[in-house]
Amino acid sequence: MKKIGLFYSFNSVKTKQQAQKIIAGIGEGNVEVVNVEEATQEQFLTYSNFILAVPTWFDGELPNYWDEFLPSVEDDSLKGKTFALYGGGDQKGYPENFVDGIGTMADFLEARGGKVIGHTSTDGYEFEGSKAQRGDKFVGLALDIENQAALSDERISNWVEGLKKDFK
Amino acid sequence: MSNEVKDIYKIKTTDKETLLKWYHLLKLGRSLDERAPNYLKQAIGWSYHAPAAGHDAIQLAIGQNFDRSKDHLFPYYRDLMTCLSAGLSAEEIIYNGISKDADVAGGGRHMSNHFAKPAWNIHNVSSCTGNHTLHAAGIARAIKTYKSKGVAISSQGESSVSEGYVYEAINGASNEQLPVVFVFQDNGYGISVPKKDQTANRKVAKNFEGMKNLKILYCNGKDVFDSMNVMAEAVRWAQEEQKPVIVHANCVRIHSHSNSDRHELYRDKAELNYVQEYDPIAKFRRLLVRYERATNEELDAIDVEVKAEVKAAHKKGLAAPHPAPESIHDFVFAPAYVPQKFPEGLHNEEGEPKKLIEALNGTLKEEFRRNPDTYIWGQDMANKDKGGIFNVSKGLQQEFGRERVFNAPIAEDYIMGTANGMSRYNKDIRIVVEGAEFADYFWPAMEQFVETTHEYWRTKGQYSPNITVRLASGGYIGGGLYHSQNIEGALTTFPGVRVVYPSYADDAAGLLRTAMRSEGMTLFLEPKALYNSPKAATPIPEEFEVPYGKARIRREGSDLTIITYGNTTHMCVDAANQLNDEGIGNIEVIDLRSLLPLDEETILASIKKTSRVLVVHEDKVFSGFGGEVSATITDLGFEYLDAPIKRVGSTFTPVGFNRTLEAATLPNVQKIKDAAIELLAY
Repeated sequence: MKKIGLFYSFNSVKTKQQAQKIIAGIGEGNVEVVNVEEATQEQFLTYSNFILAVPTWFDGELPNYWDEFLPSVEDDSLKGKTFALYGGGDQKGYPENFVDGIGTMADFLEARGGKVIGHTSTDGYEFEGSKAQRGDKFVGLALDIENQAALSDERISNWVEGLKKDFK
Repeated sequence: MSNEVKDIYKIKTTDKETLLKWYHLLKLGRSLDERAPNYLKQAIGWSYHAPAAGHDAIQLAIGQNFDRSKDHLFPYYRDLMTCLSAGLSAEEIIYNGISKDADVAGGGRHMSNHFAKPAWNIHNVSSCTGNHTLHAAGIARAIKTYKSKGVAISSQGESSVSEGYVYEAINGASNEQLPVVFVFQDNGYGISVPKKDQTANRKVAKNFEGMKNLKILYCNGKDVFDSMNVMAEAVRWAQEEQKPVIVHANCVRIHSHSNSDRHELYRDKAELNYVQEYDPIAKFRRLLVRYERATNEELDAIDVEVKAEVKAAHKKGLAAPHPAPESIHDFVFAPAYVPQKFPEGLHNEEGEPKKLIEALNGTLKEEFRRNPDTYIWGQDMANKDKGGIFNVSKGLQQEFGRERVFNAPIAEDYIMGTANGMSRYNKDIRIVVEGAEFADYFWPAMEQFVETTHEYWRTKGQYSPNITVRLASGGYIGGGLYHSQNIEGALTTFPGVRVVYPSYADDAAGLLRTAMRSEGMTLFLEPKALYNSPKAATPIPEEFEVPYGKARIRREGSDLTIITYGNTTHMCVDAANQLNDEGIGNIEVIDLRSLLPLDEETILASIKKTSRVLVVHEDKVFSGFGGEVSATITDLGFEYLDAPIKRVGSTFTPVGFNRTLEAATLPNVQKIKDAAIELLAY
């Protein structure tokens, strides 16, 4: 497996904790962490395998740090690159936009040739709408600390096991 | 990010000059916004301030996508940044904030933080949040009718979408396919009320997704580029497709709702922190620096420039004069048409009498032929051979077409509000509306009626809504509570509207002509019981005109003056004739014709002669218009009176449907005679 670039905000709390669990699952040696708030185009393009931490802010938005980073790679081809996405959402507080951030990010990556893996079942969640939903799957791992915190570890663990097989 | 929108504006490709202009505007707006509370603390003014902070990006985008050469902008009370971006200067913002005479919105007449510049199509709107959506729909109808370029842009907070009139506006724009961009600035709160208490959908635009012809775009209103791209697309689409768009912009409210609100009472610390993190200007600056579109030094230099600009504007603001107290009487009424052929509204025409209904129908047609910019709409008034419930508008659509004569939805506020909006398009336009099918149904339109009475005064004469509101009024038809009431007692309490109430066909024709040639709003009350009555039928000279404020003596007399209007004029004349025949007294009957303005001169001249007054009208005695007439007489002519002023009118009850109830409620000849006899005994 090629090294995975795990991009998340080092200033985050919940997302950071989730990142640490993912690193532990995949194996520290397989992952390099990058603070997305300071990431550069060059750094990003170095990797072929990615895990991007994309929590959903507000009513279905990307966090500022992703909004501010993405223009740096918006003109690049992401062909040959593989991405796995995870992020937090609140299915009760924001049921119409549950983990929209994951969907928005997947659209951005796929529009530039990137491959998004690590889809997960929507079973077990209750929401009204999500940009991350494709049929009965999310295009990444949806974590809901507000309402289903007890399920997060198992969800992360299952997801990571799948990624280990899917990342080349 | 909005998938269906072209990314015209991007951090990496938008030219530097534009980016720096935006930065300058954003900083200038924020600086003024932050300075505003200081004026209140120093007791200088700006007592109402709804901060724009957190809405900056979408507001910048609204202003930047507004072209004053063709578009019309309806900002709301939080739109400081919108108005600055649309072209207002820093001093114009301050003049409005501290209500100086130089305020281009209207010389300090309207509440602070209600920025406008009517001369540039940046309209002066109400504090009734969101009611300008109806005006936007109305002017968009004019844009479409006159095949102009441009769109109407209406801006409001998401909570105001709960107002019923907003639904009426969007439904109407959808149905009529009008080029309006409705922007919802969603900061999650209506003052302290969270949006979950307003509507079930978190994004209120979703409530409108079933409407036909309507495009809905969602954007991040805290992001300059997303906001710019979505607004550009919205304006383009509305103009090209001639259909409405909703732009739902997610914002945050960084501060309290206004300076009378304390958001720390209902928002927790985490929320207060995260709204700061969302600051759109901080994000924009980070982008400029990150993508090397500007250096920190360049941006700092703009910050210094803005500081100086605000300081200079502040000095000008403080030095500017306050409005003069005596100016309150200016611009209450827009100029009236002054009759040329019949300056007193009198004639000696002989010939075939015409019914009141024929007088109205004929005058409408004549004025429509004379002025191609004349329009009429209302409920149930133009479908093939049916021209209204009473046929007042019969044949109009056949002769003048659907563009000028058309049905409105059953939405009285929409009827009234779009009249207010369409009239803004140009000064030649004259609009007649059937405000409701019966006067009793006019109440849902009251907020727009009141709004329209304010316009001329509030804009310091910059905008006059040129509208005649026709209402079929009164009883004697067995109509009950919703088909028989009189409402002038309530509607004559508003400065800014002329109110007329003819009793005869000739006056109906003359007053309608004057109303349709005048500037400003006229409430034209029609005694529907007299539409086809032979009693009200008269000969009508060609192009007959009746000026406002000129009463007509319908019967001369010397012993008692009866002042009346509408249905009761005929009863008063009958009563006077009977009393004369019975040798009880010789009574003068004054038909007011105009309630507002009131012909005090004719009233006083009569009282000097008779020394006794009876005021008669169909509306309730208690709080009826007669109370104002009586008080005016007491004030101006008490010394001429030999008896107390008496009033005859309806009982203080609704009008019952059963004929016996109706008869017990409304005035009649006998009741008038009884009161007259009582007065003549003094």
